[in-house]
Amino acid sequence: MALTTHTTPSGFVLPSIHAAKPFFTQQPNPATQKTVTENWTRLILSYARHKKLFNLRVEDATDDKSEWDEVLRNPRIQRRLRPSHLAAILSSMVAANQAMYEPPNQTSSVLLFWRSPEEWAQVLYDWANSTGHLNTIMTFYEIVEPPVPSPLEGLPLPILRKAIAVLTKSARAQIIAVADGEGVRFLPGVPGR
Amino acid sequence: MHRLGGVGISAFDRQQQSKRSFAELSNEISQAQVDLLHAQLAQFRSALAHYASTHRERIRQEPSFRHAFQQMCTTIGVDPLAGPRKGGWWAEMLNLGDWQYELGVQIVDVCVSTRERNGGLIEMGELIRLVSKLRGVGGDVITEDDVMRSIKTLKPLSAGYEVIDVGGGKKMVRSVPRELDADQAVVLAVAQEDGGRVSEQALVARRGWTEERARTALSNTLLRDGLCWLDDQDEEYGVSYWVPSAMRWDE
Repeated sequence: MALTTHTTPSGFVLPSIHAAKPFFTQQPNPATQKTVTENWTRLILSYARHKKLFNLRVEDATDDKSEWDEVLRNPRIQRRLRPSHLAAILSSMVAANQAMYEPPNQTSSVLLFWRSPEEWAQVLYDWANSTGHLNTIMTFYEIVEPPVPSPLEGLPLPILRKAIAVLTKSARAQIIAVADGEGVRFLPGVPGR
Repeated sequence: MHRLGGVGISAFDRQQQSKRSFAELSNEISQAQVDLLHAQLAQFRSALAHYASTHRERIRQEPSFRHAFQQMCTTIGVDPLAGPRKGGWWAEMLNLGDWQYELGVQIVDVCVSTRERNGGLIEMGELIRLVSKLRGVGGDVITEDDVMRSIKTLKPLSAGYEVIDVGGGKKMVRSVPRELDADQAVVLAVAQEDGGRVSEQALVARRGWTEERARTALSNTLLRDGLCWLDDQDEEYGVSYWVPSAMRWDE
């Protein structure tokens, strides 16, 4: 049996390890499991980036209709990632700041940081700058559901908040209370920061 | 009575004279011998250099030719691969020392980069395949013999690189200093037969082991050494074990 990469219908290239049957089992040897977790983390984040997915739930492991099905299941070798294994992977991702539990205080659903909050902050600031939104007040809603396509479209609010927090720290943004919720004002800041 | 040296005081002179003559003669003779030896050596050297330089490409490219050359060198007591320092002009002439070191470096490269998934154990054929891929050469250019030699050159690094025979003509290269017991070698051999998969049942059926023995060997290989991965979704046995170093990875 040769382990090869596989291109899914959505155009994502699954690595050859995804064709290895034991990759879908939680390993009792901690060193081996570390390798398995690292590979799953990389796979999940790159797939999320590919399909612009933010949410991953433990239930996705049992749902064949899930948008994660191509990754969490390999029908060519009849293997699927077990929910308990996925939960362990998610917990390690949260610990490594590659995801956050959302809603908080539960451990079965996460938001994925396929861009780190710092990277999102930069994307956000660059977008505000290039679209001439510096110094104006914008609602969160206007940012994540803009009338023209933008890289921030569909960005979950918790991640947006984290990104804005990064900008606030470097004095490039300011949170403003607006009538229908929260808003933000982007500041010109110091060049090069 | 005739005396060799003559008589009287002149005998001393004569004796010294003949001593000198003998010394001269002996000097001449040994000088001639040394010269001859030098000439022969020079001739041998140039013949060998000529041979090496005319066949250099073939030696480097053709495994069978390289092997024959290495055997010839071994017969006359010279190691052409002893390295640039130790082997002097041999290695220089052939550039084989460098070739061998280069191969060694690539072996290390492959072993280290695959270590996290195979636990530091790689099958010889797989190693050769990956090294060949790294060098961008065809399948038959690098032989098992070359790999074994290169691994020998890695010895001074004491990184624990070692070729182990798992039986059935299969060899594995171990890149972590760790002892394998006899039962584990059998586990690896059985995994080789089945594309990397091995199970308690297979060990019992094919090697006549008791379940207990199979279980112990597998759990040592799995838990203690991390040389195999567990698969708890096996269709046939429920639980099976996979030896990544015996699986074929295309990437």
